[in-house]
Amino acid sequence: MRTLLKMLLLGCFSLPVWANEAALEKANVETDAKSIERGAEAMMGFCHSCHSMKYVHYRDLVTFGMDKQKVETWRGDQPLDAAILAQMAENDAMASFGKVPPDLSLMVKARDGGANYLYSYLLGYYLMPDGATGNHFYPATKMPDVLNSSGLTEGAARTEVQGQARDIVSFLAWVSDPHEAERLRLGYYVIGYLLVLTTLLYLLKNQIWSRLK
Amino acid sequence: MPSRIVQWIDQRFPLTSFVKHDLTGYPTPRNLSYWWNFGFLAGFVLVLQVATGIFLAMHYKADIALSFDSIQHIMRDVNYGWLLRYMHATGASAFFFVIFVHMARTLYYGSYRAPRELMWWTGQGLLLLLMATAFMGYLLPWGQMSFWGATVITNLFRATPFFGDQVVIWLRGDYTVGDATLTRFFSLHYLFPFLIIGAVLVHLVALHTVKSSNPSGINLADKDNIPFHPYFTIKDLYGLGLFLIVYSVFVFFMPDSLIEPANNIPANPMQTPNHIVPEWYFLPFYAILRSVPNMVGGVLAMGLSVMIFAFMPFLDRSRIPGGAHYRPIFKIQFYLFLLDMLILGYVGYVPPTPQTIVIGQIATLCYFGSFFLVPFISKAEERWLIKRGLPPEVTTLIEQEAHDKEARRQKHLRRQGEIA
Repeated sequence: MRTLLKMLLLGCFSLPVWANEAALEKANVETDAKSIERGAEAMMGFCHSCHSMKYVHYRDLVTFGMDKQKVETWRGDQPLDAAILAQMAENDAMASFGKVPPDLSLMVKARDGGANYLYSYLLGYYLMPDGATGNHFYPATKMPDVLNSSGLTEGAARTEVQGQARDIVSFLAWVSDPHEAERLRLGYYVIGYLLVLTTLLYLLKNQIWSRLK
Repeated sequence: MPSRIVQWIDQRFPLTSFVKHDLTGYPTPRNLSYWWNFGFLAGFVLVLQVATGIFLAMHYKADIALSFDSIQHIMRDVNYGWLLRYMHATGASAFFFVIFVHMARTLYYGSYRAPRELMWWTGQGLLLLLMATAFMGYLLPWGQMSFWGATVITNLFRATPFFGDQVVIWLRGDYTVGDATLTRFFSLHYLFPFLIIGAVLVHLVALHTVKSSNPSGINLADKDNIPFHPYFTIKDLYGLGLFLIVYSVFVFFMPDSLIEPANNIPANPMQTPNHIVPEWYFLPFYAILRSVPNMVGGVLAMGLSVMIFAFMPFLDRSRIPGGAHYRPIFKIQFYLFLLDMLILGYVGYVPPTPQTIVIGQIATLCYFGSFFLVPFISKAEERWLIKRGLPPEVTTLIEQEAHDKEARRQKHLRRQGEIA
C-alpha cells in the first residue's frame, strides 16, 4: 500500500508543465454604463463593418440607456428592432478574408481566457519583417490590426489604444452576458437571505435536538 | 372538520398510518452524521432539475437550426430565463456532486453490506440513469462541445460486437449526430427524470424496509432510534440551507465556470475543437476510456469502472461492520481510492501527453486493482482485527449476524424437508 502511495505521489510531481502560451494581459473590464457606451461606439467604428452581434438588437442599446441619437446613426436604415448584423455581406467577407468574421455576441464567453484573451488579442499585433502584421495570441488570424496596436507601441498613443481595447472588451462582456449586473445584485440578496435562514434553521435544529438530552 | 376528512380518507386510503410509519414516526438512528444528509439533498436537486427543466422546455426549440438561438433567447429575452438556465446547468453538477458524496458515504461506512444490497443496486441503477440524462441534456444547447461530446460517446457503441455500426446509426437516427439525434435526446431527456423518480421510489421503499445504516455500523437498540420528524426534518433543512448557499454562489457569481467556453460556439460538424472534454463528473471515467489503447477494451473498461461499484457487497468479505469506522486498512483504501479518482479526473481533463497517458494507465490499474484486492485485503484485515481484539458490541453483532444466517439456513432446510 505504501509503495502504491509513493507511486501515485511521484506521478503527481512529474505532471507536465502547463502548455506555455503567451501570458494574457489583464483586461480589467469596466462595468459602468459610460465605458460600455464608449465601447459600443468603438465597436461600431472598428468592428461593425465586418462583425455581427446577432443576438443584440439596436433597441437593446437604447434600453440599456445609450444615447438615442447615436443608436439612430449606427442603425442607419435598419429598424430599431433589427439584430446588429455586419455591414459587409458574408460573400464579400468570404472573398476578402477567406472566412466569415465570427459573430461577437458571445465572444467573451466563447474563448478560453475570456475578456483577457480578447483584450490581449486586440493589442497583440506586431510588425513582421515583411511589413505585414502578425498576432501573438492568434497567429492564424485574418483580422487586420484595426486599432493599429502594432504601430503604437509606446507612450500616450499606446495608452489610448489600450483604453479603446478595454472599452470594446467591456462592451463585448456586456453583450455576452447582458443580465450580469442584475444577476450579481440579486445574488447578494439571495445569499444574504440564505445565510439568515440557515442560521435560524441551525438554531432551531439545536433547540429541537436539545430535547433529546 | 379536518379530522373528519382525514377519517373519511383513512377508511379508503392508509393516509395517517403512511404518514406515521414513513414520515413523522419513521425510526431513524440518532447518531447519523451530516454525511447522511446527501440522500435528501439528491432528492431535492432532482425536484429542482425537473422544475427548472419543465420551464426551460417551454422556451427551448429542439431543432438544430433553432436550438442554439433558443438558448440565447432564454438567456436574454425570457423573464429570468438566465436564472432558470443557470440553475439547471449548475443543478446538473450539483446533482453529481451530491450523488458522489452519497456514494462515498455508503462506501466509507460499508452501508452497502447486508441487508442493504438492494439499496446499493437501485442506487447504481439511479447513477446510470442520471449519467444518461445528463449526457443527453448536454447535447441540447447544440454548442461545439455538445455536438462533439455526443459524437464521441455515441461512437463508442461501435464497439458492440457484430452490428456496432448499426447500433450507432440506431442511436443517432442518422449517420452523424444531427437533427434526429437532437430531437430524440430532447424527448428522452424529458422522459428519463420520471424514470429516475420511479427508481427513487423503489430506493426509498427499500430504505424504509431495511432502515438507515449508521456511522457505528451496529444495529441500534430501539432507544437509540428517534422519530424522523422533527429531528431529521430540521437537520435536513439545515443541511439544505448550507447546500443552497454553495449552490447559489455558483448560480449567481460563477455560473460559467462549469460551462466549457467552446460550448458558446454553435455546433459545427466541419470543425473539430482542439480538445474535446466531457463535463467534470465524467472525467475519471473518460480518463479510463482513454487509458486503454484498444477501443473495445477502453469501452469495456469504462463500462466496468461505473458498474464495478455494484460488486462491492460481494467483494467486501469482512464480517466487521461499520465500514471504515472499525477497519483502519479499509479506511486507507478508501482515501487512496478517492485520490486515484482525483488523479483520473485530472488526466481526463488535460490534453493527452505521453506522461499523462502513463499516469492515466497507472491510475486505471489502481482503480480496478483497489476493487479486485478488496476480497483479499478485507479478509486479511478481518483476521488481523479479530486477533487484535474487537469492541464487544462489534463481536456481538458479528455473532448475531452469523446466528441469523444459520437460522435462515436451518429454516430453508426445514422447508426443503417439508416439500420432500
